[in-house]
Amino acid sequence: MSSKKELFKYIFSRLTLLPIMLWIISSLVFILLRIAPGDPVDAILGNRANEFARESLRIKLGLDKPLIDQYIEYLNQLIHGNLGISLNTQEPVKLIIAKSLPASLELAIFSILLASIVGYLIGFLGAVKPESRIDFSGRIFGIGTYALPPFWAAMVIQIIFAVLLGWLPIGGRLPPGAIPPPQITGFLLLDSIFDRNIEIVFSSIKHLILPSVTLGILLSGIFSRSLRLNLEEVLKKDYIEAAKSRGINESRILVKHALPNTLLPILTITGLTVSSLIGGALLIEITFSWPGIALGLQEAINQRDYPVVQGIVVIISSLVVMISVGIDIAIAYIDPRVSY
Amino acid sequence: MIKINYIKDILKVSSILLILFQLSCAQQKKRENIIVASAGKIESLDPAQANTLRTLQILSALGDTLYKINKQGNLSPRLAKDLPKVSKNGLLIDIPLKENISFHDGSIFNAEAMAFSLNRFRKIGTLNYLLNDKIEGIEVKDEFLIRIKLKKPSSSLKSLLTSVNLTPVSPNSYSNYKDSFNNKNFIGTGPYFLESFNSSQQIIKPFNKYWGEKPKNNGIYFINYSNSSTLFGAIKTKEVDVLISNSIDDIQRLTLNNMVKKDKLNAGEGYPIEIGYITLKSNKLPLENKKIRQALSYTIDRELISQQVSFGTREPLRSIVPPQLHKKEFLSWPKYNPDIARSLLKKEGYCETDILSIPLTFRSNVPADKLLALTWKDQIKRDLSDCIQITLNGVESTTVYKQLSEGAFEAVILDWTGAYPDPEAYLTPLLSCNEIIKNTCLKGEAVFSGSFWGDHKLQELLEKSEELKGEKRLNNLIKVEQLAAQGSAYLPIWLVNPKAWSLKNISQPEFSSNGLIILKNLKRN
Repeated sequence: MSSKKELFKYIFSRLTLLPIMLWIISSLVFILLRIAPGDPVDAILGNRANEFARESLRIKLGLDKPLIDQYIEYLNQLIHGNLGISLNTQEPVKLIIAKSLPASLELAIFSILLASIVGYLIGFLGAVKPESRIDFSGRIFGIGTYALPPFWAAMVIQIIFAVLLGWLPIGGRLPPGAIPPPQITGFLLLDSIFDRNIEIVFSSIKHLILPSVTLGILLSGIFSRSLRLNLEEVLKKDYIEAAKSRGINESRILVKHALPNTLLPILTITGLTVSSLIGGALLIEITFSWPGIALGLQEAINQRDYPVVQGIVVIISSLVVMISVGIDIAIAYIDPRVSY
Repeated sequence: MIKINYIKDILKVSSILLILFQLSCAQQKKRENIIVASAGKIESLDPAQANTLRTLQILSALGDTLYKINKQGNLSPRLAKDLPKVSKNGLLIDIPLKENISFHDGSIFNAEAMAFSLNRFRKIGTLNYLLNDKIEGIEVKDEFLIRIKLKKPSSSLKSLLTSVNLTPVSPNSYSNYKDSFNNKNFIGTGPYFLESFNSSQQIIKPFNKYWGEKPKNNGIYFINYSNSSTLFGAIKTKEVDVLISNSIDDIQRLTLNNMVKKDKLNAGEGYPIEIGYITLKSNKLPLENKKIRQALSYTIDRELISQQVSFGTREPLRSIVPPQLHKKEFLSWPKYNPDIARSLLKKEGYCETDILSIPLTFRSNVPADKLLALTWKDQIKRDLSDCIQITLNGVESTTVYKQLSEGAFEAVILDWTGAYPDPEAYLTPLLSCNEIIKNTCLKGEAVFSGSFWGDHKLQELLEKSEELKGEKRLNNLIKVEQLAAQGSAYLPIWLVNPKAWSLKNISQPEFSSNGLIILKNLKRN
């Protein structure tokens, strides 16, 4: 009972940090955007518009107000869950994020699934049979995929499988001209299933394969290396030796004793990778013209669309912070050694 | 037994997947519409805000202009019934309009609608200074006659009336957008109407009640990809039917051109409308010294740069106006000659003891700029290392545009596309100046261009050209350009032709004088 209370206390303390972290992040983004050279008015009107047009737009966008007023208004809106209106398209930022975030999440989920299956399998086999051929190949695979520049790997995969072999589409989420299903979840695959549109289901799978496989393979290297190293270390522990000397069969030792003890670092790495993928798959999104949030963020930065940049950063940060807190809590729950 | 069951299951799943993949491939073969791909999203379909080639491209299919420039380079009526009638004092322009033309929303196109659109552009248009500098007011004289009152005689206004930005919009549908942009919709008079719009895909369909020649296709899907490689791959794999050249890397342009030579693709090319140039900031030493700027104008081996950067696909340029707009052959800027450059620099005290150091800024997000900067730097190192040293500085384009008028760059690589096909659309934005002191421009377009260079004589000629017509006007503008070449505040480098590639089962893309593809002429063979 007391342990449960302690856990809740721990969760509460971690969650109270969330708004503070978000406030710091959103304030930093607000300040950095204003310090950065470039002007949204220029990005919208071009640098040759006359002073009257520039000033009118500045007033309309609220950029004529003192910075502190803009900041207070921004925080006030943020507290009320309003992320503002895009300076460029006059669309609510919420809507822009609602359109692009599911695309990134869909890509991230498939990539992580693939990376986990491939990476952990290779890492596991390598740890179980150290210095074998499998282990050697696995290590080369791990180092190789980790070292590959993502944009290069993506381009090579795109050229081979889309351009030369023509097996899969070159980019985008759907074929040109295809009408997407009504947005329910934003996940194209799920929405097309709900819409019972079998053609779009398979089209979306086909479009998902290249970017998710590329990202998945690139990430699997980190996963395989981390599992191999952790499992190898665990397999050298005394309690494993003790289990062996008691005559417990090897697969049982692996599954019941070794693997659970490698779970904590694996959980941490997987969680952090998921959070970095939400906003960080930019190069993959650019290469495959995947209309995700990272691509949206890049475009918004180029256009100095302050509200969109701020909105996306706040949402990504919230997700990253929530995942990190979630991992902390999960670790605290699983590992009795963690004191809270 | 278990193994056999597993194999059967795998075979079942594989067969289903294969059939479905085949089904989705078969779907592509049934394509009836033409898919046109280019780079860059369309954020707004409002002609008052349109400033990218991609947006102008789609607007040119959704709307009509009052006039167009025909193949002979003359003004030809579109929505106008006849050529504009100019009053004797040159201050009034009457434009009769065609009748029986309707907007996509069913409302009638008339002088009220045209005046509404022009006034709306004057009020909120991104490029409204182009009109506001010339126009005093717009009057509806009759149901199908508008009168434009000018502040002073302007011969360039006629060309301006060919601009896609001035395409009329329906006053009914834009009644709530008199003072604001209508980004997601467009109601015009063009051969196509907008069926659906999102920033990465737009679908346009033929407008049944179109007054002119009907489109030769069943509709166009406009799609965008975020990078050149994907665009290139998309036409190679036949995922798209037509590819527009903006943002295609030069190496891929070359490959596409080779595919055309091997009869694997069609290609169409428009008149060059984009110029690439280097701006020299002329209000601060050492580049305040005209002789040094002139020396620099001899240091550019344009042929070499064109080959190194673009494999010859960008045409070397020695004027700041695309040649076809002058209607005659002439080149104002000098040829590459390192010996003259050296002797000019020696006279100014360089080469023997001092080395002239030029910080050259390029837009880091424009690949051709970086290659141009590197090539020029190496070429100088090879030919004039005893006199000039170039240091490179990459800055993202939005920052460059912002800091240009603040005088942040000694030398910067830029490009310019005229808003309408007329020499004035190139000369005024680069050279015009309202306040000049000792060849330094304090106020005007030359400040926005980052050169800060002005010349009284040039300014007079530029203003005078508004009162001239035909051959006289063109000769006058040539003199303007010659003065600009003597001033050497700009160093033209190359011309970029708009180009498009299409699959063999699609007709060859044709271009208008604005450098835009005539979409209604695309058809499946």
